[in-house]
Amino acid sequence: MSSSKTKRSMLARLIPGLGSLAKRGPSGWMVITGLVIVLALVVMTALGPWLTPYDPIKHHGPIRAAPSLQYPMGTNHLGQDMLSRTLTGGSIMLQVSALSVLICFLIGVPLGLFSSYVGGMLDSTVSLVIDAVYAFPGLVIAIAIAAMLGTGVINMALSIAVVYIPSYFRIIRSQVLSIKEFAYVEAAKASGAKWHTILSRYIFPNVIPSIVVVATVNFADAVLTAAGLTFIGLGVTKDVPDWGWDLTDGRNYLSTGAWWIITFPGLMIILLALGFTLVGEGLSELLNPKLQR
Amino acid sequence: MAGKIELAIVALVLIGIIVASATMYYTTTVISNLSSTSTDVSILKDGVLNLTSRMTDLATIMGSLATSVNMSTGAISSLESRLAEIELSLAARETLIVGTTDSVELTLDPAQAYDYFGWCILQQIGSTLVSVKPGSATGADFQGDLALNWSVNGNLDVWDFTLRPGIMLPDGTEFNATHVKYSFDRAIALEPSIPEGAPAGLGYDLIINRTEVVSKYQVRFHLNFAFSAFLGIVACRASTIVDPTYAPIAQVNYTEGGPRASTPAAFVGPYVLSKWSRVGGSDQEIRLDSNNNYWNLVSGYPKVKHVIFRFYSDAASLRLAIESGDVDMAFRQVSPTDVLDLQNNPNLRTWWGSGAFIQYLVFQEKRAPFNDSRVRMAVAAALNRSAVCQTVFLGLSKPLYSIIPPGMLGHTEAFKELGDSNYTLTRSLLAQLGYNENNKLTFKLWYESSGHYPSSADQALLYKEALEASGVISVTLDHADWASYRANRNNEIMDAYVYGWYPDYVDPDDYSFLYWASWLHTNYQNATQVALYDQARATTNLTLRAELYDRIDEMAVQQSSVVPLYVSSAWAVTKPSIYGVYLDITQDMRYWLISR
Amino acid sequence: MGLRSYVITRILLTIPTLLLLLSMVFLVMRVLPGDPVALHFEKKASQSQMDEMRHILGLDKPLWGQYADYILGLVDVNYFLAHGYPNLGKSMQTYEEVGGQVFSAFPATLELAIYSMIIACMIGILLGVVASKSYNSVLDHAIRGFGTVTYAIPVFFLGIVFQLIFGVYLHWLPTGLRINPNITPPTTITGLYTIDSLLEGNFTKFLESLKALVLPSLTLGLILSGIFIRLTRTNMLETLRLDFVTAAKARGLRETTVTYGYALRNAFLPILTMMGLQFALLLGGAILTETTFSWPGLGRYIVTRINFRDYTAIQGAVVMFGVFVALVSLVVDILYAYFDPRIRL
Repeated sequence: MSSSKTKRSMLARLIPGLGSLAKRGPSGWMVITGLVIVLALVVMTALGPWLTPYDPIKHHGPIRAAPSLQYPMGTNHLGQDMLSRTLTGGSIMLQVSALSVLICFLIGVPLGLFSSYVGGMLDSTVSLVIDAVYAFPGLVIAIAIAAMLGTGVINMALSIAVVYIPSYFRIIRSQVLSIKEFAYVEAAKASGAKWHTILSRYIFPNVIPSIVVVATVNFADAVLTAAGLTFIGLGVTKDVPDWGWDLTDGRNYLSTGAWWIITFPGLMIILLALGFTLVGEGLSELLNPKLQR
Repeated sequence: MAGKIELAIVALVLIGIIVASATMYYTTTVISNLSSTSTDVSILKDGVLNLTSRMTDLATIMGSLATSVNMSTGAISSLESRLAEIELSLAARETLIVGTTDSVELTLDPAQAYDYFGWCILQQIGSTLVSVKPGSATGADFQGDLALNWSVNGNLDVWDFTLRPGIMLPDGTEFNATHVKYSFDRAIALEPSIPEGAPAGLGYDLIINRTEVVSKYQVRFHLNFAFSAFLGIVACRASTIVDPTYAPIAQVNYTEGGPRASTPAAFVGPYVLSKWSRVGGSDQEIRLDSNNNYWNLVSGYPKVKHVIFRFYSDAASLRLAIESGDVDMAFRQVSPTDVLDLQNNPNLRTWWGSGAFIQYLVFQEKRAPFNDSRVRMAVAAALNRSAVCQTVFLGLSKPLYSIIPPGMLGHTEAFKELGDSNYTLTRSLLAQLGYNENNKLTFKLWYESSGHYPSSADQALLYKEALEASGVISVTLDHADWASYRANRNNEIMDAYVYGWYPDYVDPDDYSFLYWASWLHTNYQNATQVALYDQARATTNLTLRAELYDRIDEMAVQQSSVVPLYVSSAWAVTKPSIYGVYLDITQDMRYWLISR
Repeated sequence: MGLRSYVITRILLTIPTLLLLLSMVFLVMRVLPGDPVALHFEKKASQSQMDEMRHILGLDKPLWGQYADYILGLVDVNYFLAHGYPNLGKSMQTYEEVGGQVFSAFPATLELAIYSMIIACMIGILLGVVASKSYNSVLDHAIRGFGTVTYAIPVFFLGIVFQLIFGVYLHWLPTGLRINPNITPPTTITGLYTIDSLLEGNFTKFLESLKALVLPSLTLGLILSGIFIRLTRTNMLETLRLDFVTAAKARGLRETTVTYGYALRNAFLPILTMMGLQFALLLGGAILTETTFSWPGLGRYIVTRINFRDYTAIQGAVVMFGVFVALVSLVVDILYAYFDPRIRL
């Protein structure tokens, strides 16, 4: 099958797929709402640089000015326009969370599949290591990575990924352990199929739904963790607009009455995390066979 | 299911109402039946009415009796509460609750303590031979504490101190010269085994050759070289006089409750450390009580008899604490925004003073392009100090044009020669090396990101902006946490980095050397400047000293290895009833001078 | 496999995991750039001073020597009996016994975790059950919405909002610390102020420490309740559809009995697992809350110590955390095995 044909058929399946989602009741609506929110925020951030009335980094205005006609969302402690910062500030968070999910996927999924399929000594050892990583405080890992590899988007994503891979691993493992025993897998093994065929053709497709759910939770958590990392000083430098920085700084100025610094980026972060969570929630309900009636 | 419970409640209420009304109905029916026998009933009624009126009279009398009893008990209780209030306010006047974000790092032993807050507590519980007068602007106005007066020889290497008689040490002996000799000998003896302590850091063994007991109240210091700022050393916390009974010359590491922890009993300061608890390696509560052995009790100090320190995790929490009245005084660190905001609060009072903390930009001369002084000067000229001071520090920091802060001897405006946002100079200097709009000077500017210095990220952003506004410089920002920052500094991998400095003693001698300090790892040397510095050390002639520091500054501008950025000021926030807060150049808070 | 053998197997499996954790943190700390020796000297230090410092901190020993000290210290029973806490070495920054430091910081985090858990479970499970009973109604959607939104709020955002409203504007509750500055904390028996003040018989102290606990545990509890709402709701929906529930209703049992006595009890196991999971996470992850509320717990301890590259302190804190996580997951697994025999196979 040529790639263009596959793409078209996937796309062709996607649109009516969304429609069928709507027919599945409130869970379907949850998924759609979540997707719409996320998409809207992504588009807003992508188009941000063209939409902003002011340069989000340059400090034009008066310091900590309340929202007015000139600065609809006020200015922060450096005199930067909050509207511009809110429109463009999501890029770091989106990059970090997307990257962390990607890393988790690329490392956690094959590891989980392979380890639990092979079983035996290998599985026990890998599970042991994963459990140890799981018990490691995430903050120490984050600081260690920042100290060893420096700071930046990639390293932030790496810190978050390392903390999340055990979750992927565990979920995949529990799924694979039960799927392994199914009759058709046994049959495939008996008919001489290679392990990578079995994994990719039989087991992996069954695991995808849970992976997707965990991925969305991962996304939501990554957004919040990225904000947390910035809070303790492990974020990016300030020459890029970032909601995490506004949240950290805004906290210091809330007591002086400057509510607008923390509120708008805070709402955006909540919205973003919410969007991903809605998708995950809805999907896990849709895919849960025990809820079918 | 939720509906069922509500239904049940409603049903119960209905039943109650029904029962009540049924009872009432029944009663009224019975009474109306009874009224058929009217006459007997009416006589009975009159009798009852009489009785009831008598009873109402009785009730009124009893009521008025009760009211008067009430009133008297009320009067007594209000008197009691007034008394309690007076007692409380008297006690409160005796107690000061201070909120801070600092914490004692290690110990209160003068041979080991080298952190700001350790020195702060040490100053409240111990005394030195001399100290800086409260309110001093230069840091050079000394007053005698345990010493009455002092003199120095012409070579500035033999210092004599006459001690104050009649001071009792905690173990009952009278303070005399042997105790001074013991304290300094102890500090020097413990240096090898306490390498991180203040005596080691300040180089007591390098400065002092020996301490001699001349007579009971006369002590003499023989120095290894001429040192005009020696009084500053004698006034600093590492020179706190200790009682030998409680402070042995034994190498004992600090442990909570261990021998070192008992050292606080060894001093004769205004206060006694009566409680010190730590949780997880940080202070939780420190309590100071007035010291009956204080050598200066006649002065009436300490005014406040009890000082309780409470520790908060950051400036935001401290602000909330002082604003809600949980503490009486907040000192270090309330953020600039918060203190300016609290200035408008009628329930609080803010205090201001000069600062001694400075920050400066450092260039790594081993890494191109900063091996050329023209590049360094060009970058220094492009800085905009006032933008940073106004925007980031809201005017509470002042631009600094000399490594020595204002108020002190030797302060100049030398770096004004390069100017601020002096882009013409920047461009012309860089043009000499071939840098222009199409071939920009690029480098990485580093800053520290774990909160060791204030607002590092914001500062870095503004520095970058100012430099890039010249049109010929392109700056990438990078940051590291304090430990990694230090490691990077020592490994000399940072192009340019922002650093800070707190003085150990307030004297230009403790600032001027920063231009060539080896531990800054700038790889900059200048023998002429060092010679001028040593010369300034060797004279007490203030004019000569000022001139020498002036020349050091001028040379520093031409080399721009270390570029001063700003000097901070100091502030404290208190309740309005508090006064006696001195914020002078020493950055010391003398809690015994505070009263309310 | 019987319950006993399962328990024993589980306990035995915990030991290698812990050992691996200890070794990992040892290695990670040594690999980190930044030298605890150099960090003792703010300004200048000669080579001899640095060498002496290195010797004092025990860092001049070979790596396997330091590792051996570390592991042997952990199993030093005499020390444990003498001090009441394990030998985790001396802090490289303050020379205090790390065991003592960690054991003094841990109860604060534990207390916060317990109360947050109580609030999260109470709100979460109750609302989850209510939502599941009125499936697809407005109430259901409202509760689900609430559960989803609360989890998406960053903890320090919610924290400072509460501090401002209840601490500053209304002045009802303290904004930080474990107890009012004017009151001495109760004598340490468990380290939990609420329990200790009750044991002491001092009701004022109990009230004061409870007041200080309200805001931080409310913040954390509200945020966590979202998870429990959704989890309870999903599990209750599954269980309510099962045959035995219909059978019970058909037999004429009351709604409340069916819901709480039968359905919830069966749906409880995954909730229990989640409780254990979240509790363990709370212990190590309360850093943001602890910073916001000046709470002197293990989270703040780790943050301050790691800036000084205090190897022994971080090792000690991670060991403490790891042991607790292992304990909690062990207890949860055993309870799970007790209630669901299928697991033991």
